[in-house]
Amino acid sequence: MKFYQPTTLKQALKVLANEDDARCLAGGATLVAMMNANLLAPSALVSLSAVKGLAGITRRKNGSVTIGAMTRHQAVADTAALDGGQRLVREAAALIGHPAIRNMGTIGGSISHADPAADYPTALVTANATVTIENSRAKREIDAQNFFTGYLETALEPGDIVVAVSIPAGVAGAGSAYEKFARVQGDFATVSAGVVLALEKGVCRHARIAVGGCAATPIRVAAAEAKLVGSRLQDSAVAAAGVLLAAACDPIDDFRGSSEYRLMILPTILARAVSKARVRAETVS
Amino acid sequence: MQIAETFAVAAPIERVWRFITDPATVAPCVPGCQSYEVLTATSYKATIQIALGPIKTNFNVIVDLTKAEPPTYLASTARGEEGGKASTLTAKSELRLLANGPGATTVSYASEVALVGRLGKFGLGMMKKKAKSIGEEFAVAFRTRVEAETASQGGTAGEVLSADNAQAGA
Repeated sequence: MKFYQPTTLKQALKVLANEDDARCLAGGATLVAMMNANLLAPSALVSLSAVKGLAGITRRKNGSVTIGAMTRHQAVADTAALDGGQRLVREAAALIGHPAIRNMGTIGGSISHADPAADYPTALVTANATVTIENSRAKREIDAQNFFTGYLETALEPGDIVVAVSIPAGVAGAGSAYEKFARVQGDFATVSAGVVLALEKGVCRHARIAVGGCAATPIRVAAAEAKLVGSRLQDSAVAAAGVLLAAACDPIDDFRGSSEYRLMILPTILARAVSKARVRAETVS
Repeated sequence: MQIAETFAVAAPIERVWRFITDPATVAPCVPGCQSYEVLTATSYKATIQIALGPIKTNFNVIVDLTKAEPPTYLASTARGEEGGKASTLTAKSELRLLANGPGATTVSYASEVALVGRLGKFGLGMMKKKAKSIGEEFAVAFRTRVEAETASQGGTAGEVLSADNAQAGA
């Protein structure tokens, strides 16, 4: 196996374009573990750790926040840049694994691996984030919702690198929350839910919801969001949204919980996220 | 893990039976099937490529037909390995055909699959979903193949096929 450590994105993209079956090495939190488990044996590793300009968090004048692909989870968890409707992204980052993992793993690596029980995919779909992808020929942007395509599958093509994730400012006065249920602290989600809400005099004016760990990708259901908009977020409206979301899910059975169990707790996890996001939206407005 | 699937084919049960017991018609319908070899009248060897995200591997599988009651019941066992025995799988399967009138057949199968080794340790829940999606892809490919042949021979079965297609396209 060959090992490359380019210092510019251009060099990295060139190596990826020329090497068959090469993989990017970001933080290594997942890739190295999978290599150790003899699940992967790439022909070459392209380390992104020395590539300039891939890490860091930038808040633009329009309120959108861009997170470089090599930004560690802990840096996202600690940033003051993510606020209001974006806050759940930092909340999700703070719940990924343990301190050692958060200081190692990167946002680009996590979303490229696309484990449906991971925290970032659900939070980024909820926050309507955009993923910026580059290869040796072109650069493109894709909505987080369309980036995740299946179990460990994304819109990435051979030769692509995720270079950044951008989170729009979103609706003014919004509050957001990310809630996850895991068997033990630091585990992947059994079920997770991201919620962004905006209120006006106690009435919900905007709602965006995604649930994780319940299908191959984060699940959004327009009809579930519509149940909240116009409501006062009373228990019955939130429960109705939970039922609609559960109906659209198709969870796996594994040691984190059976499919039935996940569907059963989903409405409760959603209600917790709605309740948190609501308090935050009320504080803002 | 248990995998079960039921699908309808717009063709007479005898024809479905003939297709589903002939490796030459079944193999091209199996997603990822790279090659197959007939060992004996009741034993086949196949190489099947499986991909789960970044993991891509070839399973070498031997299938033995253990019991056949034409045209309604077929039992088989399968054993296979990938990556130089890094993972091994064994499966016991039962296939049932049910005639739904002269030109329609319901195919159902149930498999008990055991996967041991590196793939068994990793994301078994996802593997189960993967197996299910492979089963669904097989069903579509198999149905298309049998019905295309049935349609080209004309007759009532062809009419059933077009009605079925119209529904699928709706």
